[in-house]
Amino acid sequence: MNRKYEIGFIINPESSEEDVKKIIDSIVDIIKKSNGIVENVDEWGRRKMQFPIQKHNEGFYVFINAEFEGHVFFEIERRLKLTEKVMRFIVLRLDDKLKKANRLTRKWKRIEKLSRKLGENSDEPEMIPDEDLDEDDKEVIDEE
Amino acid sequence: MRNNQPPVDTGNSPKFQKKFYFSRRKYCSFCKDKIKFIDFKNYKVLENYVLETGKILPARVTGTCSYHQKQLSKAIKRARHMAFLKFIEPKRG
Repeated sequence: MNRKYEIGFIINPESSEEDVKKIIDSIVDIIKKSNGIVENVDEWGRRKMQFPIQKHNEGFYVFINAEFEGHVFFEIERRLKLTEKVMRFIVLRLDDKLKKANRLTRKWKRIEKLSRKLGENSDEPEMIPDEDLDEDDKEVIDEE
Repeated sequence: MRNNQPPVDTGNSPKFQKKFYFSRRKYCSFCKDKIKFIDFKNYKVLENYVLETGKILPARVTGTCSYHQKQLSKAIKRARHMAFLKFIEPKRG
């Protein structure tokens, strides 16, 4: 079962553009060999970092969004650890967070409906029946 | 819910009036913009929720809801790992 992941890493600024391409291709190859999908590759380029890593003040940032199976996750981490030119890396799963976020949208829809009703019928939005809403809902209504 | 209901006159207590007229209600700015989940890559947003020393501001100061505060603290920690934000620096002097 494929899941959505995000891979990000910082490459040593002394390395040439060919080296950067090699590292990106090596990871894209791993994903494609295991029937994964590469959605997009983001190259941010050279950026100043907030603090020096391995005595370098700059770094080459790359972010990859992809879908692949769980066991590929460990292969990618292993590859990133072994390549010496990668200074820092992060691999995140995005799937479960998006599921949780869908709960929020339901909540917001409910709030919109309520606020519309209040706008049409009564001029005093302060007189909401308290039983219908959670604490978080109330705060959102207050802003509107 | 704070100060949502209109004030009731139970004697003229100046403290009560002051609170009602001069306090501005805090709200979660992520709920207002309807942001589903907070990405660690847009670090410019995260900078607003961090002190100059690098400490994460508590939710009671910024007014973010508990759902977003949990995500925010994780996003800030990830941003620190990727050198978008500073780690905590001790105050000097």
